[in-house]
Amino acid sequence: MKGLITVDDVTQVFPLPGGGQYVALKDIDLTIAEGEFVSLIGHSGCGKSTLLNLLAGLTTASSGGIILDGREVTAPGPDRMVVFQNYSLLPWQTVRQNINLAVANVLRELPQAERQQRVEENLALVGLKAAADRYPSELSGGMRQRVAIARALSIQPRLLLLDEPFGALDALTRGNLQQQLMQICQQTGITTVMVTHDVDEALLLSDRVVMLTNGPEARIGQILTVPLPRPRERLAVMEHPDYYGLRSELIGFLQQQRRLRQRQQAQSQALAAAPVAPSAPAAPTPIRIGYLPGLDIAPLAVAIEQGLVDPAAVTVLPVPFARWQQLEEKLVSGDLDVAITSATTPLSLALGLGDRSPWPAVTPMTVTRNGNALCLARSWLELGVRDLATLATHVSVQEKPLKLAIAEQGIMQDLLLRHWLASGGIDPERAVTWVALSPMAMQAALVSGEIDGFIAGRYRVAKAVDDGLAYVLATDREIWARHPEKVLTCSESFALHHRQALLSLCAGLMRAGQWCDDGAHRQALTTLLSQPRWLGPAAAPALQRQFDFGTGERSSDLMLLNRYHADRAQSPDQAEGAWILTQFSRWGWSSFPANRVELLAQVYRLDLCDAALDLAGLPVLRPERQPFALADGGSFDQDAPLRYLEALPFAAPAVVASVPLPESTATPSLSTVR
Amino acid sequence: MTTAVAPSSRSRRSRGQSRRLALRRQILPPVVCIGLTLLLWQLLSGLNSEGFPGPIQVIAQTWDPYIIKPFYDEGGTSKGLGIQIFISLQRVAVGYSLAAVIGIAAGLAIGLNDFLRRGFDPLIQVLRTVPPLAWLPISLLLLQQADSAAIFVIFITAVWPIVINTAVGIREIPQDYTNVARVLRLRKRSYLRDILLPATAPYVFTGLRISVGLAWLAIVAAEMLKADGGIGFFIWDAYNAGGDSSTSQIILAIVVVGLVGLILDRLVGVVGERVSGGRR
Repeated sequence: MKGLITVDDVTQVFPLPGGGQYVALKDIDLTIAEGEFVSLIGHSGCGKSTLLNLLAGLTTASSGGIILDGREVTAPGPDRMVVFQNYSLLPWQTVRQNINLAVANVLRELPQAERQQRVEENLALVGLKAAADRYPSELSGGMRQRVAIARALSIQPRLLLLDEPFGALDALTRGNLQQQLMQICQQTGITTVMVTHDVDEALLLSDRVVMLTNGPEARIGQILTVPLPRPRERLAVMEHPDYYGLRSELIGFLQQQRRLRQRQQAQSQALAAAPVAPSAPAAPTPIRIGYLPGLDIAPLAVAIEQGLVDPAAVTVLPVPFARWQQLEEKLVSGDLDVAITSATTPLSLALGLGDRSPWPAVTPMTVTRNGNALCLARSWLELGVRDLATLATHVSVQEKPLKLAIAEQGIMQDLLLRHWLASGGIDPERAVTWVALSPMAMQAALVSGEIDGFIAGRYRVAKAVDDGLAYVLATDREIWARHPEKVLTCSESFALHHRQALLSLCAGLMRAGQWCDDGAHRQALTTLLSQPRWLGPAAAPALQRQFDFGTGERSSDLMLLNRYHADRAQSPDQAEGAWILTQFSRWGWSSFPANRVELLAQVYRLDLCDAALDLAGLPVLRPERQPFALADGGSFDQDAPLRYLEALPFAAPAVVASVPLPESTATPSLSTVR
Repeated sequence: MTTAVAPSSRSRRSRGQSRRLALRRQILPPVVCIGLTLLLWQLLSGLNSEGFPGPIQVIAQTWDPYIIKPFYDEGGTSKGLGIQIFISLQRVAVGYSLAAVIGIAAGLAIGLNDFLRRGFDPLIQVLRTVPPLAWLPISLLLLQQADSAAIFVIFITAVWPIVINTAVGIREIPQDYTNVARVLRLRKRSYLRDILLPATAPYVFTGLRISVGLAWLAIVAAEMLKADGGIGFFIWDAYNAGGDSSTSQIILAIVVVGLVGLILDRLVGVVGERVSGGRR
C-alpha cells in the first residue's frame, strides 16, 4: 500500500485556561493510501476534528508528525482542502465568486479563461449552475454544502478533508449528497478523509473506517476495512450480505466506548465518595506483591535491592509462590495486592476462565518479554528429534501421546507451545498429554519419566540442560519473538484507590527493567539474583554464559532471552491481548468476546503505564498499531482477529458472544482500605 | 439605534387594511405624544408670559427671516440658519473624514498587531473618555486658528470609536474565514480585499456611526466657544444679543441641530448597510 499521507505517532495537547493540559489525541498512527476514502468515527469529544485539523495543517501536533507525499505538513495549504463543518463560505461573495476566490488564488498560473472554465465545471459538477450568482444566505444548507465541496474540488487538492459534511442536513438531502460525493470521489479518484458520526454514511462511502476511543487521550481503537464492491449504490450496499456484520462491528465499538466512559465516570464518582485518608505525610503504602521465582522477576529483585521504588510512597513486600494457582487465589481473595503473573492471567481472570467468576483484573505494565524454552528429555535427541518437523514425524508414528509439562493451563507458555506444535501439524488436544506442574517440580518429573519435556523459563531449562537431563528443542524466539511473558496484575479497585502507590511501584520496576537490560550490569545482576533470597547460586549458569542448548549448538546471542525494557517492552499492548483472546477461543476455553474492545480497554491500562513511565522519567513510547507476525509467518491484525483465528490449524469453531465483564468493585474491599 | 420597525406583520389582510394599520401604528403615536408635549409647553409658558416663549411664539418670532429665508446673507456674521449649518457641516466633514481615514488605518494596525494592541490599548482607553471641549485650549495653542482648532477637536473626539471598533472587528473575524484564507494561502492583497475588509466592515460602520454623533456634539460646543460662523456660534451669538426673540432663536437652532444630527446618523447607517451588505 503506497501511503499518500502518514500520521506518525501524533499526540495533541491543548493547554487549559486553568493551567492544566488536555490531551486530545494520543499516539495516533495512520497511513492513508492514494485514492482511499477513510472515515473517522467516534463519540463526540474523541478528537476526530482535532485529527482532521492536524491533517489540514491548521494546527500542529504537540509531538509526532504528518507526512504528505514525503514532506512534513507544517502549515495549511491548498493541497489539503478542507470542507468545514459550517461550510465557511464568504457571505459577501456570490457562489461563483466564492469558488473563483479559491481558483484564482491557487491556480494563478492558469490563464483567466481556463480558470473561469474550471469554476464553471465545478459548479456543474455539484449541479449549482443556476444558483451561481446567488449569495450563500439565499441558499439552503444542502446547496451551501455543495458550494463548499465545489470550492474544495475546484483546486484539485491531493487530499480532501470533510468535517461532518452532512451533519446539519435533513435525511433526504443528506442521502442525495452522500451519493453525489461518492460519485465525485470515484470520478476524480481523490483521497478523502471524512469525520462523521453516522455509521451508515461511513460504511457507504469509506474504504476504511478508523474508530477512535473516548477522549481525553483518544487513540485509534479499531480500524475496519469495508470490503464492499465499488461502484457502490446505497440500496445495493445495504443489501450486501456483509453490510450488517460491518455495521454491528461499528455500532458495537461505539457502544463499548460508551460503556467504558460510564465505567470511568462511575469510578471517579466512587473515588470522590470514598473516605479520604488523612493526607498528612502519609506512611508509605505497603504493597504485597506475589511472584514465582525465575529470571522474569529480575526487575522486582533489582527494584527492591537497589531501592528503585520510592520508599516514601511504597513499601514493597515480596511474597514468593510455588504454583500459579495459589498465587491467583491469593490475588483474587485480596491477600495479595499485586502480582507478577503470566501475560495471559489478567484476561483469564477477567473472563473467569476455569469456572471462576469474572474478576476485574487490570495490568498497568509488562514486566518481561521472552525467556522461555521447550526442552525434551535427552532420549529424544538420540531418536533424532532436533526440530519441529522431526518431532511431528515421531509423534505421528508413536502410539502414545507426548507428555509435556506446563506450569498451568492457559498461561503464556501453554499458548506458545500449543501454537508452535499446531503450526507443525501436531494437534495439541489429541497428540499431547498435558501435565500441570510447579516449575520447581518439572525437572524431577523429567527424571522420573513422568513427562517427556517441559516449557519453562530459561532458568529452569538451563538447569536441566546443565544437569545433562534435557536439551532445548525450541526457544520462544522460534514461536513468537518479543512475546509478552510476565505482566503486573492487580484489581481495578486497587488501581483506583492506590493509584499513586501502584504508579510508584511500576516506575520502580520500569527503572529496574532498564537497568537489567543494560549488558554492562550483567555481572552485578547475576550476583544480585544469586542471593538466596531470590534465585540462589543456580542463577549463575543461566545468566553468565551463552545459552547452552544441550545439542552442541550454542545460541549466538548472549542476551537471547529475557527482555525487560528495550524496544518498548514494558507497554501493555491490547493487540497482544487480542491475540491471547484468539487462543482462548481456539482451544475452546472461552467464546470469542464480541465486546473485546471494551474488555481489552478495561484490562490493558495504557493510562497507568504512561503515568508510570512519566514518573520514572522514561520516554512514553507506544508500540505501533500494526499487524505483527509470529514466527510461523502468520500475521495478526488486531482489527481482524476472527479472520486470523479461522485460518489457524486445529482451531475450534469460533463462537462470538458478548461475554459478561467483571463488575467494577466500586467500593474498596476491606483489605485494601488502610 | 433603529426605531423604524419594518412592516413585517404583513399577513393575509388586504393591502389597504394593512397600510391603514401601519399608519396607525407608526404615525399616530409620535403625532399624539409630540402634540401633547407641545401643548404642555405652550400651557406652561402661558403661565409666565414675560419669560420663556411657547412653541407658537418661537415660530412667530423666528418666522422671518430664520425659517423662511434660511440662506440670507447680510455679510459679517449675520447669516441664515442654512448657511450656519453648512459652515458647521463643512468643519465636521473635514474633521470627521480625517478621523475616519486615520481611525480605520490605526484600527487596522492595532487589530492586526498584537504588540501595538497591547501597547496602545491603555492610552486609547484614557484618551477616549476626555470630553471634547477639554481638547479645545490645546488645539488653539497648537494651531493658533479657530477654524483649524474646531476641526481638530472634531477629529480627536471622533477618532476613538473608529479605532476601537475597527480593531475589535479585525479580532472578531470568524475563525472559519481565517481558516479558509489559511488553507487557500490567500495572498496579502486578496486577504485584505476578500476577507479582512468585508468581515470588518460592519464593525467599522458601527464605529463611524458612533463617531458622527460625537463629531456633531463636538462642533456645536467648539463653535460656541471660539468661532466665527457655524450653528454653535449662532446660538451663542443669539444669547449674547439678548434681544426679544433671542430665546426663540436659540430654541429653533437647537431643534435644527437635533434634526441634522439625526440625519447624519441615519446617513452613515444607510451607507453602512449598503456597503457591508444585508447578505449575511
